[in-house]
Amino acid sequence: MKVRTTRHHWTALLLALATAACGSGGTGGAPATADLSAPKEKAGTLTMVTKFADPQYAPYFEKVVAAYEQANPKVDIKLEQVGDQPYKDKIRVLSASRDLPDIYFSWAGDFANKFVRAGLAADLTGQIGPGTSWGSTFAPAALKAFEYGGRNYGVPLDLDGKYMAYDKAVFAKAGVGVPKTFEELLTACDAFRKAGVQPIAFGNQYGWAALHFVTQLNAYDVPPATLRADYDPATGAFTDPGYVTALKQFSELVGRCGTKDANGLSHETAQAQFIAGKAAMHYVESVEFEVFVKANPPIDWDIFRLPAPAGAAGDPTALTGAPDGFLVNARSRNAGLAVDFLKFLSSKENAATMTKDFSWLSPVKGSATSENAAPQLISALDDMDKAGQFAVWLDTVTHAEVASAYLSGVEGMLSGSRTPEQVMAGVRDAAAKARKEVG
Amino acid sequence: MTAVKQGAPEEGALEEGAPEKRAVAVPPARPPARGGAVTLRWVAARVLGWSVLAGFAVAVLYPLLWMVLSGFKDNQEIFEQPWGLPGALRWENYARAWELGVVRYFTNSVIVTVASIVATTLISAWAAYGLCRLRMPFGNAVALLVLGGLLLSPTVALIPLFRLLTSIGLFDTYWALIVLYTAFRVPFTIFLIRAYMIELPREVDEAATLDGASPTQIFWRVILPMCRPILVSAALLQALFAWNEFAFALVFVSDDAMKTLPVGLMAMQSRLLTDWPVVLAGLTIAALPTILLFLAGQRQFIRGLTEGVGK
Amino acid sequence: MGALLTRWRTVVWVLPAVLLLLVFVYYPIADNLRLSLFSWNAFSPEPRFVGLDNYAEAFGDPVFWRALLNNVAYAVVSLVCQAGVSLVLAALLEELVGRRLRGLLRTLYFIPAATSITVAGVLFSFLYNPRYGLVNEALQAVGLGHLARAWLGEEGSAIWSVIAMSQWQGIGYTAVLFVVAIQRIPREFFEAARVDGAGPVRTFFSVTLPMVREMTTLVVILTISGAFLVFNEVMVMTSGGPDNSSQVLGTWLYHQAFFEDDMGYAAAVATVVFVVTFAIAALQLALSRRRRDDA
Repeated sequence: MKVRTTRHHWTALLLALATAACGSGGTGGAPATADLSAPKEKAGTLTMVTKFADPQYAPYFEKVVAAYEQANPKVDIKLEQVGDQPYKDKIRVLSASRDLPDIYFSWAGDFANKFVRAGLAADLTGQIGPGTSWGSTFAPAALKAFEYGGRNYGVPLDLDGKYMAYDKAVFAKAGVGVPKTFEELLTACDAFRKAGVQPIAFGNQYGWAALHFVTQLNAYDVPPATLRADYDPATGAFTDPGYVTALKQFSELVGRCGTKDANGLSHETAQAQFIAGKAAMHYVESVEFEVFVKANPPIDWDIFRLPAPAGAAGDPTALTGAPDGFLVNARSRNAGLAVDFLKFLSSKENAATMTKDFSWLSPVKGSATSENAAPQLISALDDMDKAGQFAVWLDTVTHAEVASAYLSGVEGMLSGSRTPEQVMAGVRDAAAKARKEVG
Repeated sequence: MTAVKQGAPEEGALEEGAPEKRAVAVPPARPPARGGAVTLRWVAARVLGWSVLAGFAVAVLYPLLWMVLSGFKDNQEIFEQPWGLPGALRWENYARAWELGVVRYFTNSVIVTVASIVATTLISAWAAYGLCRLRMPFGNAVALLVLGGLLLSPTVALIPLFRLLTSIGLFDTYWALIVLYTAFRVPFTIFLIRAYMIELPREVDEAATLDGASPTQIFWRVILPMCRPILVSAALLQALFAWNEFAFALVFVSDDAMKTLPVGLMAMQSRLLTDWPVVLAGLTIAALPTILLFLAGQRQFIRGLTEGVGK
Repeated sequence: MGALLTRWRTVVWVLPAVLLLLVFVYYPIADNLRLSLFSWNAFSPEPRFVGLDNYAEAFGDPVFWRALLNNVAYAVVSLVCQAGVSLVLAALLEELVGRRLRGLLRTLYFIPAATSITVAGVLFSFLYNPRYGLVNEALQAVGLGHLARAWLGEEGSAIWSVIAMSQWQGIGYTAVLFVVAIQRIPREFFEAARVDGAGPVRTFFSVTLPMVREMTTLVVILTISGAFLVFNEVMVMTSGGPDNSSQVLGTWLYHQAFFEDDMGYAAAVATVVFVVTFAIAALQLALSRRRRDDA
């Protein structure tokens, strides 16, 4: 989840729906026929499509592919890397034309599930599931994110969690400690305001930044079972009072900690202000930590989770975030080879290189050490191990209609034209429409 | 517009020549004849008029100037002295913008623009020739078809075109843009060229026919060379259109390696949100070609616009 | 027989144009009308016939009306600026400025129209930035700091800020069209007005305005149909936000089609755009036909 304008999410869902639709025709739902056992001889051609065309990430995958090809001279891997947005279009066209590569990228959650439901993802339970030696090398929460109906389908590549980054110097100067509860966070904001510092650097130009807060607060305020049912397009109702509570809390958070111009500021502009020491906190994904690590002049920073409100009805251990990963084409003729390559890609050594090259955390145990990762990354990794579950981004986990209603509704709430109740009324309408469409 | 009626093609560009002569004959800056004296009101009115003109020139130019200058600044200068001059000419911003994608987008834009200029101009010239210089069955129906094409707007066709292009495999290729830029601009260009061609004397064709030339030979050797001025106008307007087109380029090309400048710039802006100087340098590079083209071919541009607008 | 064959062979000249038009212009428009009667997305195997449901949905959707209203606002402001202000500019240019400078100014005024909308849009989103944008800086500099705001980020100002950018791009373009029209007015008319003792203002109303009527009609029509086809400006600067406050029909149909995967609804919105712009374009055609017949 790197480049994240709202548009991308829509397309993700569009794509997901698309693939579901494709699968329902013809061979849809047919059990995977791919032979996943290790090939007798490592030979043949593999196709692989990623969304890592960005010059920051692309070389890593090229490097790994080259290394595998060198070790197995009879294997030819055709690696195609496209950008974040193009990937969604590309994979949509590829699956529509039944031309899926052997290995393809997927976000966790409903995006992957659609491929599974369409019979386009190979069941990897025997390889990476519980009790397998390969599976035991991963953090369980990451594998769980690619689980569907009790089976494992994805090979997680990275881990991404949302944290509040804070500037230690600014905190010390204002005499504020790390807040333990949501209420303490609000009080801290007041203190920063009094000291003339902007409490949270918050830019919401494309709408998703706000939804990340709401994702976390929903997970805190709504019982997990209700949340799961509501996020499923077939059963979404959004009648739990916790949703309104979450929006009210968010509204208050922005009022006391944010700025009025948030809708007109990009996330990156807000981030730049945090880096410049002009704001005390900034809510970021762990994949963005590198920006702070490389900040010049350096900043003294650390992270904490957005603290849960006192007495919240939901899961206080849930963490907003999700892993990304790879799926294997269920109809691949070289599935065994594909699995072998993915094992190579997720070796501790390669995982560690990824963390070193661009500061992404790998779900492979022991891949982050003080040698290849900043201390904040390591504490994020420790923390993710503790997370009971990932609360997947609200704008990707839900149906496009619902996500759209949330996005525009929260924007309206921030600019004062809607109340939390009105936002949820819009979401419920959208959920009804989604139910009709899916059911 | 009735440009053709007022100035036959052989008269050439009319918007510069004739009117300017008038300007010399009646100097515009002249006190009203009535009073003879230069009144205060007259002065005030002139001052007001001039300030409107000058004010508008500043309003038009300043943002562009700011764009060019900010392309040389560093972030700190942009944020802290937004009105100031850059402390140094940081060409590296331009170099970085170029490397970070502008070169690729630029090349793509050139490919699509050039190909669509060639296709549009040729196909339109053929059709215009067929329509106004040859006797053709269903000529009127064809003319009506072309005329109707002028009334249809691209936005409306976005969704069916998406279906069409994906089903014939043109989605995400240069061809998608080249074909669409041609198809949607052919009606306009046909009418532009036809209006000019229609004025060419019939005797030319007749003489050539008597010499034994076929229609094909007449077209390539006689008519096309004679139409050069309007072809240049047509090509320039097509360049402006294709270089700047956004909606088709946004929807029908998704591979970053094939994006044209307008869409690429947006992608670049979202990648480099905090690096204003580089983005602004990229904008400057993107804006230059059409501005230069306009400055170089102003007369043809304006002729094309004023004639095309009335068709 | 041979003559007939020769005549038919002439069809080859128009064939490429006709084919292109039929396949890529006419077929899609017709297809759009059909598709607007179905509920479907790009990949659903069988579109489901829903009759006029998509239209009913659009007409019951407040965002649809919001978008339409924004298109109307676009049209009104553009009319005032691109038909009114630019005519005044053109007249001033002709009245006050000497030959050399006039050419220069005319060129300058046109430059924004020669830059792409993306360039202009991205540039203006910098100018509108709430923290560092020139617009707010300028307001502060002249003591109007209280007017500073997040121009593109507030529901009250987003669409107007986009419209303002469009005027920046459009005024010079129509001013140049008017300059050409004014230059075509026979010189004697101005002479006669001067002899009658008419000042510049009266000359403007009694000579210039009536004599550029044709061009004015054209500009009015172009401006209105342009306002209903607006897409790029909004897409680049706000994508329709915040809270859909700056949606126009073009971006709303794009949003429905490619974000919410509601292709049928999007096709219905497209049909509305088609009807409006086709009516305007047909009007233009009728007017220019009549003009030709008059001449």
